[in-house]
Amino acid sequence: MNLFSEIVRQFRKNIQTYTIILAMIGIWILFSIMTGGTYLSAQNFSNLFRQMTVTSFLAIGMVLVIVTGNIDLSVGKAAGFVSVVVAYLQWYVWYDIMPDQPFLSALLSVLFGLLVGTLFGVLQGYIIAYLQIPAFIVTLGGLFIMRGGILIVTAGKTIAANQPYLSDIAQGYLPPIAGWIIGILVVLLLFFNMFRTRKRKQEYGFELASIYMDLLSTGFLSALVLAYVFIVNQYRGIQAPVLLLAVAAITMSYVSNNTKFGRYAYAIGGNREAARLSGINIRKNIFSIFVLMGFLCGVAGVVLASYVGYGTIAAGEGYELDAIAAAILGGTSPLGGVGTVFGALIGALIMSSLTSGLQMMNVQPAWQYLLKGIVLVLAVYVDVYFKRKQ
Amino acid sequence: MSDEIILDIQNVTKEFPGVIALDQVSMQVKRGEIHGLCGENGAGKSTLMKILSGVYRYGTYNGRIIYDGEELKFEERAIHQAMEQGIAIVYQELTLVPSMTVGENVYLGKEPAERGAINWNKLYADTQNILSRYGLDVEPQAIVRHLGVGKMQMVEIAKALSENARVLILDEPTSALSEAETDKLMEIIRTLKNHGVTCIYITHKLDELFRITDTITVLRDGKVITTQPTEELNVEKLVSHMVGREMKERFPEGSRKPGDVIFEVKNLQAEDPNKAGRKVLNGVNFDLRRGEILGIAGLMGSGRTELVMTLFGEYGKITNGKITLEGKTLTARDGRTAIQDGLSLVPEDRKGQGLVLIQTIRRNISLPNLDQFASFMRIDRHAELNACMEHAKDLAIKAPNLEIPCDSLSGGNQQKVVIAKWLMSNPKVLMMDDPTRGVDVGAKFEIYKLMNELAEQGVSIIMTSSDLEEVLGMSDRVMVMHEGSSQGTLDIAEATQEKIMALATGIA
Repeated sequence: MNLFSEIVRQFRKNIQTYTIILAMIGIWILFSIMTGGTYLSAQNFSNLFRQMTVTSFLAIGMVLVIVTGNIDLSVGKAAGFVSVVVAYLQWYVWYDIMPDQPFLSALLSVLFGLLVGTLFGVLQGYIIAYLQIPAFIVTLGGLFIMRGGILIVTAGKTIAANQPYLSDIAQGYLPPIAGWIIGILVVLLLFFNMFRTRKRKQEYGFELASIYMDLLSTGFLSALVLAYVFIVNQYRGIQAPVLLLAVAAITMSYVSNNTKFGRYAYAIGGNREAARLSGINIRKNIFSIFVLMGFLCGVAGVVLASYVGYGTIAAGEGYELDAIAAAILGGTSPLGGVGTVFGALIGALIMSSLTSGLQMMNVQPAWQYLLKGIVLVLAVYVDVYFKRKQ
Repeated sequence: MSDEIILDIQNVTKEFPGVIALDQVSMQVKRGEIHGLCGENGAGKSTLMKILSGVYRYGTYNGRIIYDGEELKFEERAIHQAMEQGIAIVYQELTLVPSMTVGENVYLGKEPAERGAINWNKLYADTQNILSRYGLDVEPQAIVRHLGVGKMQMVEIAKALSENARVLILDEPTSALSEAETDKLMEIIRTLKNHGVTCIYITHKLDELFRITDTITVLRDGKVITTQPTEELNVEKLVSHMVGREMKERFPEGSRKPGDVIFEVKNLQAEDPNKAGRKVLNGVNFDLRRGEILGIAGLMGSGRTELVMTLFGEYGKITNGKITLEGKTLTARDGRTAIQDGLSLVPEDRKGQGLVLIQTIRRNISLPNLDQFASFMRIDRHAELNACMEHAKDLAIKAPNLEIPCDSLSGGNQQKVVIAKWLMSNPKVLMMDDPTRGVDVGAKFEIYKLMNELAEQGVSIIMTSSDLEEVLGMSDRVMVMHEGSSQGTLDIAEATQEKIMALATGIA
């Protein structure tokens, strides 16, 4: 088989993934032309990725929630609540106890934030999985409760969260040399993994893709990683929150593809009854997924506090909708059973690319929302259209 | 019945990318007859029906269809057009809205309305007319969810007939019906015939074809093999037409020698888990030997499915009784522990309970068996694929590879995937709930052969079935159930259809 036809075959097989990536590149090109090139300047490119992080932490958890046939409407406000708790601890608590310990303060705030998010997930997960109340209702209630919680913690005021160390979580950058080291390590890992997979396949006597094809796709991925490092290094280096997101996303992607826990989630969403009769503990799985979602709300909340530099009553407003939109845009089926973490990330990137581009062109917020709504529905329509044609 | 042709299908060819589903098909249906259509899965029956009902539009196939002297040309809104012209279809899967009344379902999409408001009185009166005209015994105001499957089927027929149907197509109408309900359906079809309705009857159940049809057409690999008056055919001839080879026996010969008793159920009683106090099992006793096939017979509602689901730990709440496997008493139960203990269940409803249809063959086969290649942190996907490939090969699952979704497989192959999934768990006792329901003749034979092989290897099999011939053909012993309790176990040498029916109806 020649290389070109193999590429075409692979492309056809993963057409859904590629269409959404192409759509994103299309949006980038369009905005670049309309802004005379400044849209893809190193600075804006760097900010674009930084802006998507908070919703992305929520979106990568939301994928699994939706895959099991559930929904979580509380994630935005839960992350918002975590962010004001972090701000409160920083401003009112640690500063009084240990004003000369900024690192310890930040560390404790982060741990507290993650704990609060996780506990909230435990609570919601328990009610949904074991008391069997629909997730839509439980998390709608959760949304209201968290909104109340935010008002209680802030007492209606804005609380500063711009202390050293804490700020670095969302506003820090890695020195260029560290960026290159990470980039090269990732590339080495990609190639190592490729050869290891080939070796395992050979051991079992499975059919191997042509070595050129594997080299080409791994090479392409490596080029993307290095290009990314190159561009962000032109500005200030790899963004700390993006690195965090990458670690979280790779972990979640691994969990969803390569563990029993992930496999069971897809089976439950695909056919609950068949999953039950296969001996899967459905309650435990759904409970765990909401705990994981809660933990990710904690992460998103910490990053949010650090990103905006204060805790406010509007924290996290509407983020749940962005997260759901990102997951759906990335190919997650609202009916359950289908969806990928990678897709959700691209979905989040598209949403944030739109926001950023429209802001640069001074489009009013009203029109930004309108356009985002149209893009969401249109994207899903295009997907449905192509599937029907196949 | 006259000799006039109401439906004349001339040289119809329908191609899909890579497959010719129908190849120059010609058949003629006479006005007022009951015309049976049979063939293995994939023979082209469904494609032909979809053309007749307008699902595939005019122009997407070659050839002509003359209906009542005019050529059928379905275009936009084809399904409505088909109905208006008097062609009605009752699909295999029920298409009713469970939360609505019978009347609402019958007139769904064509409600009698005045200035946009539905005339409910007319709707229910018209529904009643249709129901009583054809002797359908259902209340128009009843909520469909509360009806049994048999009555739902009647509503389905009434729905199809609500416009003045001249041709009624029934696709596997009895696949979910009990014997009594099937009898009732046969009666209804005869009534329809007396009212001049022409019927095309598609089924896998050969005995039904002989009971009710006037003419039988056999399709194989997209071609018409024969169209003959029913009285000129018999089961052997029909089967050989269908599979294209002589098939002397429906059941393969086995040479197994059951060993010692390994599984015992004593006085098992269980309640409906959703309705406290409602007994579903009321004293079941049986034992099972190593390498034995035990058939479980009984009428619809006798508790066959409830029994295997309860033994698997996923249905009834056990109130009394004792289950022992290899001398060990099995207590607190759910599906997971059952699998660990060595019990597996091929459930009754392949699509609803057996498979995650949107997922690949590999993922379905390995689903209950992931512990074999996974730690908490990682699934060894190569080991997984390797094991799945071995089982897929053993069962001769027909698919280009294991990465294609199960919803693109035929019924027989889907059932093989379910069986592969449970064989991988190395069961000591394999429970199969109606394992050949909706499976074509060829695949049935393969499943029977596989059951024999498994039994020879020492796996003990419990097989429930609604098909008495299957029970008699496959079992070493037959346990008969009636109203949730076991009525007795017959040795295959002494078992006859009459004896089983006597036990199953509670008169013995």
